[in-house]
Amino acid sequence: MSNAREKKRAKKMRNQPASVTLSSDCGPCHSGIQHHNGGSRSFQTPKPDLHPDASAAETPANYQHHSPGPSYRKEQYFSKGQNRAERGRGRGGRQNVSQEMPKYVTASTFARARAAEINAMLKAVTQKSSNSLVFQTLPRHMRRRAMSHNIKRLPRRLREIARKEAEKAVHQKKEHSKNKCRKARRRHINLVVEFNRRQKKNIWLETHIWHAKRFHMVKKWGYCLGDRPTTKSYRACYRAMTKHCLLQDLSYYCCLELNGKEEELLKVLARMCSIDTGPTFAAVPCLSGRLQGSLVLYRADRYPEDLLGPITFIWKPKHVSGITSETRQLWIWTHPSLKQDILTELRTVFQCSEPVETCSPEPIVTLLQEEKQTDVVMIVGKKRKREDNEGEKAVPVKKIIGDGTRVPLQSYCWTSQTTGVVISDLTMEILRYRLIGPLSHCVLTEALKTASIQTEMADSETELNNWWVENCKNSERVSLHQRQEAIFELLQGISSPSEIAAGTILGLTVGDPRVNLPKKRSKAMPNPEKYQDNEKVRQLLLEGVPVECAHSFIWDQTICKNVTENKIPEQDLNHMRSELLVPGSQLDLGPCESKIPILLVQQPGKVAGEDRPGWGSGWDICVPKGWGMAFWIPFVYRGARVGGLQEGLKHSEYKRTPHVPNDFPDCPAGIQFAKELKNILLEKFKRRPPAKRANYVKLGTLAPFLCPWGQLTRDWEIRNKAQEESVITSSADSESCATEKQIPCEPKPGQIIEDSQGDVVEEMTQIQNLCKEDGAATSSDFFVLRNRKLLKQLSARCQPSCGKGQRVRSASKLGQKEMTEDALLPMFKCYPRVLVWVSLSLLRKGSPELHAMICIPTQEDLLQLSKDQLFCGPQEPKHSDIFKHKILKLKERKKRETNGKALESGASDALEAKAVEEPKELILGLWPDSLPDLTSHCSRILLGFVTQGDFSLAAGCGEALGFVNLTGLLHMLSSQPADKKGLVLLRTPASLQYRFARLSIEV
Amino acid sequence: MGGWRQVSGGWGCSGRAGGRGAGRESRGAGAPAPPAAELALRRRLPPRLPRRPGDVYVNMQTDFKAQLSRCQKLLGPGGGCAEICIHGLGLAINRAINIALQLQAGGAGALRLAANTSTVPLADGLEPQGDADGRPPLAQARNNSAIHIRVCRVAPPP
Repeated sequence: MSNAREKKRAKKMRNQPASVTLSSDCGPCHSGIQHHNGGSRSFQTPKPDLHPDASAAETPANYQHHSPGPSYRKEQYFSKGQNRAERGRGRGGRQNVSQEMPKYVTASTFARARAAEINAMLKAVTQKSSNSLVFQTLPRHMRRRAMSHNIKRLPRRLREIARKEAEKAVHQKKEHSKNKCRKARRRHINLVVEFNRRQKKNIWLETHIWHAKRFHMVKKWGYCLGDRPTTKSYRACYRAMTKHCLLQDLSYYCCLELNGKEEELLKVLARMCSIDTGPTFAAVPCLSGRLQGSLVLYRADRYPEDLLGPITFIWKPKHVSGITSETRQLWIWTHPSLKQDILTELRTVFQCSEPVETCSPEPIVTLLQEEKQTDVVMIVGKKRKREDNEGEKAVPVKKIIGDGTRVPLQSYCWTSQTTGVVISDLTMEILRYRLIGPLSHCVLTEALKTASIQTEMADSETELNNWWVENCKNSERVSLHQRQEAIFELLQGISSPSEIAAGTILGLTVGDPRVNLPKKRSKAMPNPEKYQDNEKVRQLLLEGVPVECAHSFIWDQTICKNVTENKIPEQDLNHMRSELLVPGSQLDLGPCESKIPILLVQQPGKVAGEDRPGWGSGWDICVPKGWGMAFWIPFVYRGARVGGLQEGLKHSEYKRTPHVPNDFPDCPAGIQFAKELKNILLEKFKRRPPAKRANYVKLGTLAPFLCPWGQLTRDWEIRNKAQEESVITSSADSESCATEKQIPCEPKPGQIIEDSQGDVVEEMTQIQNLCKEDGAATSSDFFVLRNRKLLKQLSARCQPSCGKGQRVRSASKLGQKEMTEDALLPMFKCYPRVLVWVSLSLLRKGSPELHAMICIPTQEDLLQLSKDQLFCGPQEPKHSDIFKHKILKLKERKKRETNGKALESGASDALEAKAVEEPKELILGLWPDSLPDLTSHCSRILLGFVTQGDFSLAAGCGEALGFVNLTGLLHMLSSQPADKKGLVLLRTPASLQYRFARLSIEV
Repeated sequence: MGGWRQVSGGWGCSGRAGGRGAGRESRGAGAPAPPAAELALRRRLPPRLPRRPGDVYVNMQTDFKAQLSRCQKLLGPGGGCAEICIHGLGLAINRAINIALQLQAGGAGALRLAANTSTVPLADGLEPQGDADGRPPLAQARNNSAIHIRVCRVAPPP
């Protein structure tokens, strides 16, 4: 305390001149007498004598008149001060001097001495002690608006200082180029230049400006993306997803195009995926181009390890009005964080190394170069304006359309010498918007109007719509267009996108959506009259969109380029609008209206699980680049609410699907993401004072920021080995259980039994073979189980069988699969280090958080739950913080070290070395890097972690998604009674309370 | 039945009302290919009409009491509906009838019921689980029964 006070005083006195000793000399005597009469020391100052003398010397006299106030204050201060002894010493010396009254005072020496003091004092007054600006030191009533900006608002005596400060500030500020006035900066052409410059580093979506005005923007994966709206709209966005329509800009998703012979492509791609995880590239409905497929890619021949990531893919329809094309076109849509890995793997697998110059990116490259040149012009001199004045010679600066970060000379298209397969990177070439919710049909059908048939060119000079005119000359194609149009019209009579087959593709050519833009933002509502055409709708629902209707001109690069380049600028459109005879009437462009090829892809909503089928379904719309805003605004004006990345995350959470890249811990992007997240969370944690943050050591949370999947699986492996015998006995038990269960159920037709049994056996041998093949590899790393058959069996085993009806059902559903339980266990044992994606819903209270722990309940917990329905869950006993002492010690030593260093720097080498070999850094409240056994650290055995968790607005209770260890899961299931199967405990990292949750695996 | 429009469908997420058990496995009917495509059956939502304020779709997931009180509120003084339609599909038919009868019993003779039945065509999506080509259809049609009960006030409330 006293220390702090001393420091404070030292700070205060810092700028006091050393030569001046306060109080005694200048303080008038009465103060001394008045205030120190209680004190033992009665010191006298030479002041009384000084008085008459001072009148002779002018300066001291002046000074004296001013002095009483401050000196008085100082006296006060000193009387309160702590360091009396010090003062006493100083004063004592003077006392001696002043003990005897001087008989005379020499004016000159006295004045000189005083002059020095005055100088020092003046210096102290002019020099300000704080680092605040001069106008900030003014008392509040003297402050004026815009003082920092205009020095004339300051009192005159301070202006000089303020001026100097302002100059200094100008120098300190970094040189910025906006020497132009705001008006000039906001001029369109300069704005475009500035925007182009700013999107060189991070790609901007075409809706960037729109988003930047309304969203919190984040820089992620090389893009500037809208994270969440600045308005409060968490719940509103949820409502939009469920009842209305939510719009998302997914243009940052990357499209990779593969061109080549079908067999060639399929043969190689088959190496990168497995039939176990579901339909692959060769699935018939996908291959024909009717449906969009989705799968997970692995490194070639490395399944089930080395995940690359989930993708969706679209094949270009095979038959385009009779012409059978041998080469097929395949689009693979990936998340940008996975793109690089997938692209390099594809290139190595297809041996595509030759860059193609003549291929699709070539025009873009030239376009970019052009832009570059114009940019150079812009940068080199500010002659731009003059040039403009001189003539129209100067190339107008073009807005960057597409990927602004591309290096002009680098190729984005590769071919293979041997197979002739061409891979091109179509990032930002095709925009993708996602409409989620039941009203997306209304929004789509109201915003888009199919293109009218056009047989004559509007203008022979331009290339506008020449492809469409060409197309309309072919009667077959016209009829195709009409069929597409009819199907599109039918969508109005369907109340939800989930009624249509999952992944349906519909190609379309639409007119300019800006033409029929409503004047005000309105909400598209379904029209009951459209619901009459039942027969056709039924046919559409049952048979889906015919293959030929999936054809779209968006597959054709040249047409896309044409469409992009011949877009009528917004300005011209507005100009035409203003020239309408009846203001506000519909604009009719006639043959000049652009025709845009688009692709509509249905997105299935929630497909797995029992509840809320089809929740969150919608349509994806692919548009050629350049047309982003032209489509965006009409959608928004039809009542679509716009969501950002956060809303996307929530969407996938409520759908209970893994989100890219958060929920793919076994792919490189997922690992990278987890690391970044850890750093962010750790920084956030460290920013709080230690007393104000959770002590995770005491809470028994070993890894609050990063899920240590590797160690979790390893620990379970060790545990499993140790418990081998007990597991075997329990498995025998469960087997007997299973056979008991088998008895009541009626077996299904024999064929299926044989089949599934055969499947399982086959599977088992296959897996065992696999395990033998790369036994070393399996022991080295973990992976996530994505084998659908195994997951189905697992999910069946997780379900409780309490009700009678349910029991029969589940038994009949699972059929013979449970009989093979004894065969299953060793099979799962072949996967010693496997994680399973699970979804959890809490039974009662609680909302789980990120990285919450999934634990196995003990028998007593379950007993208590069955006894007391309101039992919330057990509590974790508090752990002791074993690191606290260590941290304190370290701290002390460090302190000593620094002290020692101050004394002698040479001798502290040994100490330093010691400090280096100490564990890097211990943070209070966190475990150091080497964690103990994860599973048995707490009172309940750890099973896994939660990767997404929140209160679910859709389910009305806390819901979580995460991964558990397979071995642990089987261990748990085998020991749980039938009616309590799948019950687990959840504990958030910063709490000691466990909560009951039901675990389920949705396939 | 007055001018009441024959409503042919429109069930919200009437969860288990129509058909049970998503992911039931069946075999592609008449698939000639040797490794017959294994298909997963996924129920799709029943077709529905745009909802008017007085439409109540009964399901088996929401609490009975809540659904009843919702109807009462709609018919009550501040509800703003002179008549409501209670729709029930499949398993929820019983519940729809139950709600309507409860309403009538609680309405002290002021409510009149008029029931209509219909058949709703449903579609179940078929998803192949592998690549095998059986050329299966994308969906399977089936029908389910439905009931539409019109509840209207006989006399205006005092």
